[in-house]
Amino acid sequence: MKPIDLNHLFSPKAISFDPDEVFDVAVIGGGVVGTGIFREFALNGAKTLLIERGNDILEGASKGNSAILHTGFDAPPESLELACVKRGYEEYIQLKDELDLSFRNTSAVVVAWNEEQAEKLEAIQAKGFGNGVEELDLLDADQLHRREPNLSSEALGALLVHGESLIDPWRAPLAYLKQGIAAGGKTAMSHEVTGGHHTGEYWELETTRGMFRAKTVINAAGLYGDIVDKIKGSEDFKIIPRKGQFIIFDETAFDLVGTIILPVPTKITKGVVVTPTAFGNILVGPTAEDQESRTDSRTVEETLEDLKAKAYQIVPALREHRIVATFAGLRPASDEPQYRVMVNDAANWITVGGIRSTGLTSSLGLAKHIYELHDTHYTDTPPPPPKVTTPNISVFTPRDYEQEGYDRIVCHCEHVTDREIREALRGETGAGTWGGLKRRTRAGMGRCQGFNCAAAVAEIIEEEQGGDHV
Amino acid sequence: MSEQPMTEHPITEIDVAIVGAGPSGLSAAIELSKLGQKNVVVFDREAEAGGVPRHCGHTGFGIAEFYRPMSGPDYAAKLVETARRHGVTLTPRSSLLKIKEEVLTFSTPEGLKHYRAQRTLLALGARETPRSSRLVSGIRSPDIITTGALQRFVYLHERAPFKKAVVIGSEAVSFSALMTCRHAGIEVAAMIEEAERIQMFKPLKNAAETLLKVPVHTGVEHIVIEGEGKNISGVTIRKNGTETFIECDGVIFSGAFTPEGSILQTDVPDFNLRNHSSNVTQNYQTTNPNIFVAGNALRGALTAFKCYFEGRDAARAIHASLQTSKPLRTVSIEADDAIAWHTPSLIDLDADHPRLTTLRFRRSTRGTLLTLLNGREVMRTRIDAVPFLNVTLPWFDQDVKEGDRVELVYQEE
Repeated sequence: MKPIDLNHLFSPKAISFDPDEVFDVAVIGGGVVGTGIFREFALNGAKTLLIERGNDILEGASKGNSAILHTGFDAPPESLELACVKRGYEEYIQLKDELDLSFRNTSAVVVAWNEEQAEKLEAIQAKGFGNGVEELDLLDADQLHRREPNLSSEALGALLVHGESLIDPWRAPLAYLKQGIAAGGKTAMSHEVTGGHHTGEYWELETTRGMFRAKTVINAAGLYGDIVDKIKGSEDFKIIPRKGQFIIFDETAFDLVGTIILPVPTKITKGVVVTPTAFGNILVGPTAEDQESRTDSRTVEETLEDLKAKAYQIVPALREHRIVATFAGLRPASDEPQYRVMVNDAANWITVGGIRSTGLTSSLGLAKHIYELHDTHYTDTPPPPPKVTTPNISVFTPRDYEQEGYDRIVCHCEHVTDREIREALRGETGAGTWGGLKRRTRAGMGRCQGFNCAAAVAEIIEEEQGGDHV
Repeated sequence: MSEQPMTEHPITEIDVAIVGAGPSGLSAAIELSKLGQKNVVVFDREAEAGGVPRHCGHTGFGIAEFYRPMSGPDYAAKLVETARRHGVTLTPRSSLLKIKEEVLTFSTPEGLKHYRAQRTLLALGARETPRSSRLVSGIRSPDIITTGALQRFVYLHERAPFKKAVVIGSEAVSFSALMTCRHAGIEVAAMIEEAERIQMFKPLKNAAETLLKVPVHTGVEHIVIEGEGKNISGVTIRKNGTETFIECDGVIFSGAFTPEGSILQTDVPDFNLRNHSSNVTQNYQTTNPNIFVAGNALRGALTAFKCYFEGRDAARAIHASLQTSKPLRTVSIEADDAIAWHTPSLIDLDADHPRLTTLRFRRSTRGTLLTLLNGREVMRTRIDAVPFLNVTLPWFDQDVKEGDRVELVYQEE
C-alpha cells in the first residue's frame, strides 16, 4: 500500500523575486507582529521582504491565542504596550470594514468570585479610566447574572468592559500579508535566518535556503527574537517562552456565554478566560507556564483537567457539553515584562521583541509605531491601500456552505466545503502547512477532529500540490 | 466566495425525513416503503449512501439481515441497492444544519434547502472520541488519528499514513484497527488500555499477542505522546508507577463511540448525550413526538445489524404514529452514573410496555441493579457486566402512571 506522509504533504514554497535584489526592509518573522510591520512598510512604498522560517505565516506564537481584541483597560499604564494596544484596536476597527475582517463586540466582564476580588474592581476600573478606556461599568451580582445567566451564582459582581471583542486571529494577519504583497512586498517562506553581517551598505542575511539583502532589518522573530537579535552584534534581552494551554468546548455550548469572562488578575497571572470565539465555540484558557523550550507546546492531562474544572466552576452548564479540542500556545515573553522595541539606527536594525499576549491587538499599532520611529520615507505619495479579500470562517457572517455551487462538504463538523479547501491551498499566500490550512478553513478542527475528513483533506492537499509528496 | 448566487428554496412538504443513510436510516426507509408509506426522503451528508460500513474492510456484516457474511462495503452497497429497489428517494450531499418547528434546513450544493416533515428520524450514527476530548498529554500531530480516519485512509484512499502505530483502546473497533494496520502493512507497537482488562473477550488479548505479535498493555494509568514538532517519536505509558517508552510514528485512538452531530443536543428537546436519560421511548420517539432517533445516534456503536433492526422498528412506530396521532405521555427512566446508556430511557405510557431495557455499564463490574418505582424496589437484578456487552432487563411488570419516578440504581459488590 502506498504510504502518505502527513507531515510532509507540502513542498517548501519557492521565492518569486530575484535573490540578488537589495530590499529596503527585511522583516524577520511571519507572525501577527511581523505581518503587520510587513504591511505597513510595503504600503508606505518600501521594498519590503518578509522572511519566515515556517512554510506558512503564524507557525509560532501567533497560532495559539484567545482570539480577543483588547481595549487596553488593564495594560500597564503609560507603557508602549498600552499605546500600541489602543492604536492597534482603532486601526483594526477601521480596517475590518475595509478588508471585511471578522469582528464582534461582545464586551468583557471582569468577574469577582470573592470579597477580596470584589474590592479590587473599583481599582481596576480606575486603572482603565487612567488608560483612557472610558466605558467601564461596575455591575452588581444581579446585573451580572441578568447579562450572563449561565454564570455560576457564586459570582459577586463584575466590571463590564465595553469594546472587548472577538476576532478571527488568523484571518487578520493573512489579510495584512496579502495587502503587503499587493503593495509590492515579497515573501520568503521556509527560510530560517541563521546569520548575517552588514557590508557597509546593506545587511546580508544568511538563511537555510540562500542569502537576502536589505538596508534595514526588523526583527519580529517572536519566540526566536533573542537569537535573531544577536546577529546585530549585541545581546539585549532573553526570550522566556510562556506556555498557555487551552480547551475548547463544542459549538453546542456557544449560547451559554455571551460576554468574555475574565478573572480578576493577580500579580502572577492574568488568569483563565472563558470566552465565546469567532468560530462559534467556547474557549477556556490559558495557563501561564514559563519554560526553556521554544518548541515544546505539549498539553498536559492534569493541567487540562484543572482547566476543565475551572470552566465548570465558572459556567456550570458547560458540564453538559463536550470538549472538542485542546491545544497549547507559546507566548514570546522576555526577561522583562514590557515590550522590547529598540531602534538601532547606526546598525540599521530594529528589534520588536517580547510581544507576549497582546500582540494580536497591538500588531497594527506597533507597525505604525515602528514605521514612525524608523523615520525614513520611501515615497511621498503612497498609493491607496490595495483591496484584498480573505475567506470568512467566523460564524458572524455567512460561510461558504450557506452558498450554492460547492461540490461537497468535506469537513462535516465545521461544514468546510471542497472549494474552500482548494482555494485556501492556492497561490503565494496559500496554506503551506496542514495547520495553515486549518487556520484558513477550520477543516478538521471540529468535534470529530478528522475522524471523517482527515483522509479526504490529505488527498486534496496532494492534488493541489500537484504530485506525490511521499 | 460570498458573491455566489443565493437561491431561496421554498419549503418542501414531506411525510417522513430520514437523516442518515447508514444501516438504521436505510433500514427504516426500506420498512416504510414495505408499509406503503409515501413521501419519504432519506438525506445523507456524504456523496455516497451506506454510512460507516463503507469503510469497514472486515467481514461479518449482513448475516442477520441478508443471511450471508459480507464485508462492510459490500453490506453498504447491498443496503443501498435494496433501498433503491424499494423506490426509496436518496438525497446525498445534504448536511442537516438545524431543525426548527418541524422544518429541517440542509446545506446542499444547490444552496440551503428546507423540508417540513411530519415525522423525522435522526439516524445520525456515531463516531469515535478523538484524542483531544480525552485530554491526553503530549504533542499535536496529524499522525494522531481515530480508527475511522485510518480506515478511510486505508480502505477508501488505499494509503498508509504511518509505519508503526500504537493503538489506544481495546474495544471491538480497536481490534478492527489492528486488522486495518495489518492490511495496510503498518506495524503495531502496542495496544494500550486504561482499564484493568481489555474491553473485549479476554482470549482476544492472547490472540493479539501471539497471532499478531502486538503487546497489549492493560491498566495503563497515564499516556504521553512524545515527539518533536509534529513528528511523533513514540508514546510513554505509566503503569504501577513505572514509565515505558514505546517507539512509533502514529497513534490511533480507537473506540469510545459517541453519537454524531450536535443537532441532537441543540435541536431535540430533553435529549441528553451525557447520561442518555430522557432520550427515546420504546418506540424511538423523543419528547418532541414528531422526532424519532434510532441506531448509534442513541449511544455508542453497536453492530450494524442491531442498528438495522432498530431502524426497522422505528419505521413501524413512525408509520403507526402517522395513522393515529396522539399526544405523548412519558415517564423518564433515570439511570445511575455507572450506566453508560440505556434504551429506552423514556416510557410511552400509551404504548405497549417495553419488553426489555437494554443498557451498558461504563466499567467491568459485579453487583446488583435495583429498579425503583417512586423510590420503592420493584426489581433486583444480579449484574456481572463488561462494558462491551449489553445487559438486558425484563420489564418490571408494574403499572406506571404519569408523574411516577423510575430509577435504575446500581450497588457494586
